[in-house]
Amino acid sequence: MSSPAAALEVRRLSKRFPPRPGQSESPWVLSDLSFCVGDSEFLTIVGPSGSGKTTLLNILSQVDGASGGEMLFRGESINLASAALNPGLNCHIGYVTQDDNLLPWQTLIDNVTFPLKLQGRLNQESMARMQGLLKAVNLIGFDHYYPHELSGGMRKRASLIRTLAYDPPIILMDEPFGAVDAQTRTQLQQDLLRLWNLGRKTIVFVTHDIGEAIALGDRVLVLSRSPARVIYEHHVAIPRPRDLSNFYKLEGFGDMYETVRKELL
Amino acid sequence: MSAVAESLPFPVPRSRRRWIPYGRIGVALACFALWQFGSYWMGKEWLPGPVATFARIWDLALSAQLFRDSLVTFSEAAAGMILGGVGGAALPFLLRLSPRLLKASEPFLSAAFGVPKLALAPLFILWLGIGIMTKIVFVASIVFFLMFYNGMAGILSVDPRLVAMARVAGASQWQVTRHIVWNTTVPFLFAGLKIALPRAISGAVVGEFIAADSGLGWYINNSRSLNDTVGVLAGVIVVTILVIVVNAVLQRSQARSLAWRPVSRDMVV
Repeated sequence: MSSPAAALEVRRLSKRFPPRPGQSESPWVLSDLSFCVGDSEFLTIVGPSGSGKTTLLNILSQVDGASGGEMLFRGESINLASAALNPGLNCHIGYVTQDDNLLPWQTLIDNVTFPLKLQGRLNQESMARMQGLLKAVNLIGFDHYYPHELSGGMRKRASLIRTLAYDPPIILMDEPFGAVDAQTRTQLQQDLLRLWNLGRKTIVFVTHDIGEAIALGDRVLVLSRSPARVIYEHHVAIPRPRDLSNFYKLEGFGDMYETVRKELL
Repeated sequence: MSAVAESLPFPVPRSRRRWIPYGRIGVALACFALWQFGSYWMGKEWLPGPVATFARIWDLALSAQLFRDSLVTFSEAAAGMILGGVGGAALPFLLRLSPRLLKASEPFLSAAFGVPKLALAPLFILWLGIGIMTKIVFVASIVFFLMFYNGMAGILSVDPRLVAMARVAGASQWQVTRHIVWNTTVPFLFAGLKIALPRAISGAVVGEFIAADSGLGWYINNSRSLNDTVGVLAGVIVVTILVIVVNAVLQRSQARSLAWRPVSRDMVV
């Protein structure tokens, strides 16, 4: 599956958690999972729930270690089973998690600039860029609100631009729109595609929602039930820009949806 | 006063909140009446009434003795608080860096916590004499564990997802401690202070009971040896006022530094 323009290549990833007390061996969550992502590609990965999607992204972001496997980034091999993890790979891999994980004691503006602050990159230029991002996702005027004063959708958008703001070349997303209502979700997906269009980053987007996977992605990978492997791959031919307000009407959407749905059964 | 009504944990209609201050004054008056009644009933040489007690406090205030003794007790409590409090609050942050060290030190910390500090007071006197240092160390030994256990509870409640988020965004170990661990722990440290500050003051007073030549504890104990019940009671009242003032200051600074919290979840007492 290797190609020269790959931004990230994942090779023979496997994972199982340490056995619980009284259990001799725990089952494999991921086994022999390999794929690659092209530069500035929007890759979506769809899998049944409980198939280890979050585990996969935790490993790629090096929040959690693998049992075996490596990834290739800019010609360098990174051992994902090593004891010394490097979360975020020196800010090269961003991670938008399922929960927004905003800091409850900081205001919106402090939250979204938090990574820049950590990296010592908070200056006028990055602040101006931040303002642009806030505007793009309609958060202007809420700078000084605390997370608990914001709606679920606003918090999602904040967590999204928090990662976009420091500009990691690769961004992992774990069902970032799972917990919001359908309307907000469409709006957020629309926002995401617009932001992606502005910067054209490499995105690995994991979801259990087939429609979302097809509507957003350039390519869709289908994972098997646990232990997860990539079992199917689809190139999404739907032209961009895509109108997500009724994506089920897009050319070719229906057929692909049916195919993927059957593959997931 | 109004801050209290604002932070009630359950909704009380504004129209009825107005009555809270009046209710309080009523309760206070009832307490004084009960006190006065008790004084008649027991005899005023056993339990002096509020008038005699406050008259004594007034005399003490005029003679500057009140100020001197309060200052001594307060300084002992404050110095002990800083010594034991900072140590007790800092230790959990260090132990967090090494889970193995934490596990290993657990039984020793529990054992040290179990030692009755009061019983150690004679030893402190042997070591340090009857001066101010004895009380400082005594207070510190009480406060240390209160702050340590609250700090530890804070450290253990740090959300690992926030830590992971910060690590991915490039945070160093120090930045994780500074931004995530510290901010999570601050409310717990305030909860610790709320218990530790009054204990620090009463610790200093008890230390002065045992051996001292000044301070509110000395004044109370000295009055007792002279069968001066008015003096004992006046001393107790002054200590109580000192605790109330310290608590009010703490309340203020807590409200300021925890302004981000959704609702005030703190008892105001």
